[in-house]
Parts: sequence; structure tokens; C-alpha cells
Amino acid sequence: MDEGFITLCRYLGAALSVGFGAIGAALGEGYAAGQASDAISYRPQASGEVLKNMLVGQAIAESAAIFALVVSILLIFGSTEFHTQIFGWAALSGGLCMGLAAIGSGIGAGVPAGTACKGIVRQPASSGKILTTMLLGSAVCQTPAIFGLVTAFLLIFLDHSNVPLYPGWAAMVGCGISTGLAAIGPGIGNGLTAGEAVSGVARNPDQSGMTSRTMLVALGVAQSTAIYGFLISLMLLFMTPKESTSFAQAMRLLSAGICMGFGAFGPGLGVGMTGAYAVKEVPRNPDGSQVLVRTMLVGMAVAESTGIYSLIIALLLIVL
Amino acid sequence: MEELGKIKQFVLEFSGFKLVFNVETIIMTWVVFLVLILFAILARKKMGIIPNPFQIIAELLAKTFYNLCDDALGSRFAPKYFPMIFTLFLFIWLSNMIGVVPIFSEPTKDLNTTLSLGVLGFIIAHYSGIRAKGIKTYLKEYCEPIFFMAPLNVIGELAKVVSISFRLYGNIMGGGIIIIVVSHLIYQLILPPALLFFFGLFVGTVQAFVFTMLTLVYISLQVK
Repeated sequence: MDEGFITLCRYLGAALSVGFGAIGAALGEGYAAGQASDAISYRPQASGEVLKNMLVGQAIAESAAIFALVVSILLIFGSTEFHTQIFGWAALSGGLCMGLAAIGSGIGAGVPAGTACKGIVRQPASSGKILTTMLLGSAVCQTPAIFGLVTAFLLIFLDHSNVPLYPGWAAMVGCGISTGLAAIGPGIGNGLTAGEAVSGVARNPDQSGMTSRTMLVALGVAQSTAIYGFLISLMLLFMTPKESTSFAQAMRLLSAGICMGFGAFGPGLGVGMTGAYAVKEVPRNPDGSQVLVRTMLVGMAVAESTGIYSLIIALLLIVL
Repeated sequence: MEELGKIKQFVLEFSGFKLVFNVETIIMTWVVFLVLILFAILARKKMGIIPNPFQIIAELLAKTFYNLCDDALGSRFAPKYFPMIFTLFLFIWLSNMIGVVPIFSEPTKDLNTTLSLGVLGFIIAHYSGIRAKGIKTYLKEYCEPIFFMAPLNVIGELAKVVSISFRLYGNIMGGGIIIIVVSHLIYQLILPPALLFFFGLFVGTVQAFVFTMLTLVYISLQVK
């Protein structure tokens, strides 16, 4: 019975992982390729440079989907010996978590790749700086997907044998949903910010240092809601719930994950947009960068408040 | 795989009280302290017009960070906060780097380290805010749009501590977990060192910088 159930869950988890994971990276890479074609039409002489840049950018954008592939393969070929039903739920949730978390970063990392192709055509002399900013931006964009990968690994490989099945199954599923959904918005938002930073560097290469500094701060703040999702996941994973067959107790844990997951989507995207406009204007007006960064941070703090409401409700649901 | 999510602890018990020490974290933190102190001594030794190699590195780093502080805080506050910001960066950066050396482990992999650094930044930022603006203006800012928003503003400030410390902790601990799992699966051939390079050197440097810059801008939001 248990063996069959765990295998079933693992297959389902594998399908969810790579199924959802395939969405984001493909969109991001398609965007990058489209921008590259557009860029080449302006300056066909630079096609070699643009093509190289497009391929490097697409390779980074694909890493989130590769994480999902790795998790899928681990789920299909992993051992199920001495496991109880709770491991099945954890494996299913791990797959779901990685799949959802790969969406945002995949789309996000494609944006800087695309704007970098445009930027190289505009400013061929500083293609090195543009490439560096793109690499930095799209690597930091992967952070939400890395949180998803870590949560998936913890769910799949941690020893859950002392967790009671009821309501432990709900804690496991909630844990996966929380990090997974929470990573989507920040991932896309980070991509928007990094994309504008790359085109800003292309516009004013002399200010590349200040632009990438502002970008890193903006990316860091935009990831806050993904971090709240990760925090709720860790709490659901490590705070072993008391055994109870009450359906309400199970729903309480599952809802905590759902609440944080959905709540993080909007703030991540919104804060990313704030960051995008700020890093766009910093290279245009370097003297005003201090005021710009301050305004950006204050605006981000306000835009993030709805994510904090979700965090409060999720924490209340867990500790209740 | 057994070490996944586990911390080496030493528990001291006397008359009902329990003192838990995370031995590895404490030792590694002291290693980082000692390396930084040694570096500072070497940099200061025979300071002169013709600098020794350590002095060059120290001057280069200090100049870069002084300019960052000057940009964010202005020339009035920069000399005051620069030593703290620079030390914070060096400490976090070296803490993240130390995991690359075999048998050493990052102190920032422990939530206690990152959370205390986050609380440290929070207290410094708010204390300097009160010093610079006076307690009245400081409290007034919490009632910014309307007065009943005050509790939410307070929670928003506290959430900053959570996000800043979990960002560092999640990235460093996450890198560690990924390396453990991958090494377990493919028996330490080529991929783990490459992952160590990415998570240890690249992510470690970026996250140390992000932590320092965020602490700096949180202070600058308070003092101005």
C-alpha cells in the first residue's frame, strides 16, 4: 500500500515539476531570441556578438528549468525503501514546489538577456560591461528558483519519519506551495529590474558601477516576499505538528502555505516594477541617484506591505 | 545526507537551565575574526608612501566603500558610519568565502549569525534615526499616511530584519544543501567544485554586498 502510494506521488511530483518548470524558461528564452532578431535587423554587422550574447543569456535563463528537470529525475529514480506515506506527500510537494518556483525565474532571466542584445547593438564598444551586468542580473534573478530547489531537496531528502501523517501531509503540501508560488512574482519582478539595468548600462556605460549597485539593492528588496515564502516553508517543515485527525488542523497548515504563496505574487512583481523604473533613470541622471534610490526604497516598502499582511496571516495560521 | 538541516551543538545543563552552543559556528566566527585582525595588522605594519601589498588591498577596498558611504549618507555622516559598514562587509564576505576551504564551514549558514547581524543593523539604524531627527519626528514618521497605520508601519520595519537576515541565510545555507545533495548523488567528481565556485565565491560576494548596501541605505533612510 505505502510503496504504491509513494511511487504514485513521486511520478505525479516529477510530472508537475518539469511540467510547470518548462513554462517560464521557454517564455524567457523566446523573448531573448525575439529581441536578438530585432537587434540584428538594426545592425547586421554585430550579429556575431548579439548571437553569442543571446546564447549566454538563454543558457542562464534555462537553469531554472534544469533545476526542475533534476528534481524530476531524482523523483523518478529515487529509492522508496522504508518510507511511509508522509514521504509520498513530501515528494509530491517537492516536485510541485520546484515546478512553480522555476516559472518566475525563467521568465525573469530572459528579460536581461533580451535587453542586452538590444544594448550591444546600441553601444558595441562597451559590450563587455553590458555582458557583465547581464550575467550579474540574471544570476541574481535565479535566487527565487534556488529557494525552490532548496525547499524541494529538503522535502525529498529530509527524514520525515517522526512527522504524524495527519496533519503532516498538509504541512508538506503547504510547504511546497508556499515557496513555489511565492517565487513566481519576485522572479518576474527581478527580471524586469535587471533588464532595465542592462539597457541603462548600454545608454550610459560610464555609470555602470552605480547602475549595478542600484540594481543589486532593488533586486534584494524585490526578493523579500520570496524570502517570506521560504520562511513559511521552513516553519511548516521543521515545526512538527501535533497528531490530529481533525480536518481543520490540516487545512490550517495548508492554508498558511497558500496564503503566503499567493500573497507574495503581487508585491514581488510590483516591487520589481518600481526597481525597473529607478534603475532606468539612474544612468540618465546620475546626480539625482541619491534621491532616486531613496524614493525607490520608500515606494518599495509601501508596495511590499500587502506581502507583509500575507506573512502575518500565514504566521498566525501556523502558530494558532 | 544525515547532515542535511542539522547543526553541531554542545548543550550545557545546570539546575534546570540549558545553554546550547553551536560549536561549529562559534569556532568559525572566531577564525573569521582572527583572519581579519591579522589582515589589519599586516596592512598597518610599516605604513608608508611606498605601501606593502596588504596596505594596497586595504586602501583600495576602504576607498571604494568610503565612496559608497559618501554617496548614500553624505559627507556629514559618512566618516561616522564608514568603519561599521566596511567591517560588516569584510566580516560577511569572509564568512561566506571560508566555506570554500575544506573542513571549514560558513558561520553565515547558521540563522543565529545572520539574524544577529540583521538586528544589529536595525538597532543602529533606528538609534541613529532618533539621534539625528529627535524622538518626536522619529515617532511622527510612523503615523505617516494616517495615525492608525502605525502598527503596520512597525511590522513593516520588523519585516525588514526578517528579509535581510533570511536572504543571506537562505542563499548560503541553500548553496550548502545543494552541494551536499549533488555530492551525494555523483560522488564528488567535477560538478561539486563548480557549484562551490558559484555558490561560495559568486553568490557569497553578491550577498555580502547586498546585505551591506541594504544596511547602509536603511541607515541613510533614517538619518536623513
